[in-house]
Formats: sequence, C-alpha cells, structure tokens
Amino acid sequence: MNPFEIMDCSLLIRMSGLPPAYNLRELRDRIAACSPDVLYHHFCETPLSPTFEYPDHRNDFAVWASRRLSDKVLAERLGAVDPYACASMEALREVVLDVIDERLSEVTMIPWARPGHEFYFMEATTLVFDSGERVHALRDLPAAIGCMSNGSIYFHFVEAQRRPPVGVDDFSHWIGGFGEAGAPYVEALRRIDFYFYTLRELREELVRVLEPLRGG
Amino acid sequence: MNLDQYEPIVGVPVIGQLRRLGERLKGLKVVHVNSTAEGGGVAEILAWMVPLMNDLGLDTTWRVIEGTNEFFSVTKALHNGLQGHPVVLKKRDWEIYQDVNRENFKTLRDELEEADVVVIHDPQPAPLLELCTRRRGRWIWRCHIDASHPFRAVWKGLRPFVERYDASIFSMCQFAQVLPHPQVLIAPSIDPLSEKNIDLDDRELDAVREQFDLKPDVPVLVQISRFDRFKDPVGVIQAYRMVRKMTPVQLVLAGGGAADDPEGNEVLDAVLEAAEGDPDIHVELLPSGVHRTVNALQRIADIIVQKSTREGFGLTVTEGLWKGKPVIGGDAGGIRLQVVDYHTGFLVVTPEGAANRIRYLLHHREQCRRMGAAGRELVREYYLLTRHLREYLTLVYALVGRTTEHTVMV
Repeated sequence: MNPFEIMDCSLLIRMSGLPPAYNLRELRDRIAACSPDVLYHHFCETPLSPTFEYPDHRNDFAVWASRRLSDKVLAERLGAVDPYACASMEALREVVLDVIDERLSEVTMIPWARPGHEFYFMEATTLVFDSGERVHALRDLPAAIGCMSNGSIYFHFVEAQRRPPVGVDDFSHWIGGFGEAGAPYVEALRRIDFYFYTLRELREELVRVLEPLRGG
Repeated sequence: MNLDQYEPIVGVPVIGQLRRLGERLKGLKVVHVNSTAEGGGVAEILAWMVPLMNDLGLDTTWRVIEGTNEFFSVTKALHNGLQGHPVVLKKRDWEIYQDVNRENFKTLRDELEEADVVVIHDPQPAPLLELCTRRRGRWIWRCHIDASHPFRAVWKGLRPFVERYDASIFSMCQFAQVLPHPQVLIAPSIDPLSEKNIDLDDRELDAVREQFDLKPDVPVLVQISRFDRFKDPVGVIQAYRMVRKMTPVQLVLAGGGAADDPEGNEVLDAVLEAAEGDPDIHVELLPSGVHRTVNALQRIADIIVQKSTREGFGLTVTEGLWKGKPVIGGDAGGIRLQVVDYHTGFLVVTPEGAANRIRYLLHHREQCRRMGAAGRELVREYYLLTRHLREYLTLVYALVGRTTEHTVMV
C-alpha cells in the first residue's frame, strides 16, 4: 500500500473582472456569464475565508441575499443549494439560476442592495504543494490529521470531492485500499456533513471519527 | 524575531505550512517601499513582515522614501482624495510628487533593479515603477486605503502611475479599482507578540489607569486612532454624552500622529473643543512608540469603539478583538469584515446607534464576554500575521511563476 501523501494548499483571492451586482437581476446576469472558477469560489472555497463565520449560510450568494437584499426567502433557497450534489459547475449554475429566476418571478420589485453593499465577484488561485509528510499505517492517520493545516484539511476532504473519483475524499480513498479493515471508517467519513463545519471543526470531527484506528 | 515564537498561539500546522512555502521561495530578493518608518498601520505591518520573510529564507529589505513637508501635504491630499474627499491637486503638486520620487530613486536604483519582487505600499512611492526602467522583477502596488469611491480627479491623476504594475493588492474587494492587471485581495493583520498586543499583567494595567487618571470603578470606552476626520472622534464624544445621561462612563480618545499626516492637529483641536474640558473624556495625543500604553488602554476598556465613517481595514478593531473585547464599529471599510454584527460586536452608523449599543453592552456583561471570546477566535483564524504572510508568499509564488490558473501544483 502506498503511503498517504499529505498535501497542503494556500488560496490567493482576486477580483474576477466582472462588475459588481447592485440588485438581484444583475446578480442573475453575472452568474449566468461568470467563469466556473467564480462559482466555485463563492460556493466551495468559503471555508477558507472569514465570511464563513456568518453562521446562517454557507455560500456567499445566500449570505448576500440575506444580509444585503434582506430577502430571507431567496437566502434560504440559495443556502439549500448543495454544490457537491451537482455533477459540474455548469450543473450548479443551472440550479442557482433556476432558484433566482423563480424568485424574480415571485417578487413585484427587484431587490436592491444599499450603496456600498454590492456583490463583488471573485475567484482564486489555489497553490497546492507537497508537505513532504507521509502516513504509512492506518493507525497513524488520526494523529496526522490532528496536526494538519486548514489548507491540508480543505484539500484532502473538501476540494477532493471534486477531483476524480468525484464525491470521494482523499482519506476515504486511501483507507478504502485497506479492504475490510478500512470499510467502517470509509462509511463513517461519508456520513460527515462537512458543508456546515469550519475547517477547524472538520479537523476535530475527522480525528473523532477515525480515533479507533489508533488502537489498530 | 522568528516564526517559531508564534507556534503556541497559532499551532504547529500553521507554522509548518509557512516554512514549506518559504522553502520554495528561498533566496528570492524582495524589497518593500513605503513612506514612513513609524506611525500608522503600514509601518507596523512592515516591522514584522520583513524579519519574518527573512526568517523564511527570502532576502527581504524595507526602504522608506524621504520627502519634504510639501511632498507629504500632496500625498496626504492624494490619500484623502482616494478616500473620496474632494481635493484639488494642481500640476505643480503632481510635479512635487514625481520630483521627490525621482530624488529617492537615485538612492534606491540598484536595489530596485536587482529585486525579484518589489512591493510599493500606498500612493506615495508609486512613481518609482516608471522610473525603474531596467527593472527585472515583478512589481506589486499595495493599496492600504479605502479607495472604494475615490475623488475622480485624484484617481485619474494617480492611475497612470499604478496601472503598469504586475499586480495590485487591496484589503477588501470594495476597495479595488479597475486596473489592467490582477487585483488580489489580502486583508492586513496584527502581530500578537508585538508590544501592542502581547499579554500584560495587572500591575502594568493599574499603572496606565493611574497615568490617565481613570477611575477603577467606572466603565471605560476606548477609541484608539489617529486624529483624523474619517475616524469621527467628535461623533464618539456625542455618543458618550448620550450614554453619560443614563449611566456613568469614561471615554478615552487616544492616538498618535503620523509623520505623513499634517492634518492631525486640526482634528485634535476640534476634538478638544467638543470635549469641553469634561474630566471623564481623556483626549491623548500619544507620542510614537508607546505601544504598551495603547495595549494597556485596550485591555482596560470595557468596550472598544471605532466609529469610523471611512476606514482602510481598521487594525485597531483587530487589536481590540484580540484582547477579547466587544467592538462597536462604524459600518465602513474593513470594520465590516471584523465586526460580525451580534457576534463580535455591533456595526453602527450614527452617534445615536453607538450610544444605544454601548448602553446595551454595559448592562449585559455576559454578552460582552461571549462577543469578546468570539472576536479573539475570529482574529486567531483570519487576522494574525501568519495568514497575512501566507497570502503574500502565495502571491509572490504566483507572480514569479506567472500563473493565474485555478489550481497550481508546485
């Protein structure tokens, strides 16, 4: 069995070049035209940014709808969109546009944000680098995860869901290679509802779930 | 000063990550240029960033341009103009701006030409790029100012000096202007081990309380900031007076001047006039370098106030949160990122709003404690220098490697 190679990553956020959206109609039009990296950033890279501290919603569009448009209905619907349930960013775009179009058909006035509270479209470059650290035995995995940076946790558990094999995190993929011995842990990892954890909470949860491996 | 000292505060993984990034940039020559060696947030950031970049193996230096009073009056007007204040800059002013940079370039030439990466902080040294025709490195313009609504004539005059940079950094997306190069977002940060933020014992706090003649049994509100109209110190006094009608309270308005801010005295006079000699309003123009005093005042405070109407990022808010205090902040600039309404403090827009929130918090001490604890953790995660350093290193790597792809394996 190959050792688990611990990778790390750092995010560099930049402006996408799209003009900001001042109202829901503009938000819709920009989302229809933005690059997949913009959608990915506002839906999936939020755990690496302070906006994730707003406890109500886990994507930036829902947070904006709630805090800046004061449209709780839209915020709740957008907040329920699970990017990891979509096969691709294009599929996610379709779902989001559908939610917004439905809301636009319901309201009599287009919701506007106050000046200074526009939605800014951003994207990021993710620098991924090998930490040089390796895990050779299953029993060493919980301790290794406990020492991982937020970047490593994000890369191996969150970002990994979008890499082939899609929907599978790196830890499960590696543990799965140990056959029967690893099977219960793969199942336990699959059940983690990671979308609502900060990276610090996610690390603690991963260590908790895999803790029995230490005895193995 | 080295990174290992920060391990007990941020944890082993964070330091390990920085060391790994540093290994990939070892030996790279980086030059930071700004216009003041002390006073203001930029000098404070560079004071830790330069030694830590060196500790990580980069060959980093910090140079301060020298200027005349005339030059600093022009650049202060530029600064105000970028913050949206209508100012008039004549042809002669732009000439002074360029002449002083030309003089400075004579002494900086060799270093700037040889650098792999040059980071120019704020508008004062921005013309150095066009003067350095033999540059071989990548140049970054770091704008620390809230330039969300610049006065158009000022931005029009400044833009030609900054648009040829390879990248620019803004503290928040709202501050970014349209430029023909990547505009990266990096929030500033604080150093938890600096004199301004390190833990202090009770004896030292008592001494500062005595020094400022603060009553030990009356709650204290503290706003630490330069005497600058955008920090709205007069609005804070108005809020204090409204609170004072209902409950005893003391107010400290304290801050230093900065070498590049000639307007400070005017604002200070306006504040003293508004204070009307009230013995419970303590207006203090602090000399530079009294960081432990500022630290103590923030720790003595029951509530930190930062009622700015315009703000770059608001490092005094970060400092207040790090000391476990709730912050009542103006709904402006980077304060919005840090004061998570109802979680780490309250955002307000008027003296009345500030007064209401102060009264609420003074009567809900458990809420104060919870907000303070949440604020400290927010800062630990996102606004300490380790995160800031990581993003700079990532930008340097991306620029030197000339990459803008989404995922880059290195």
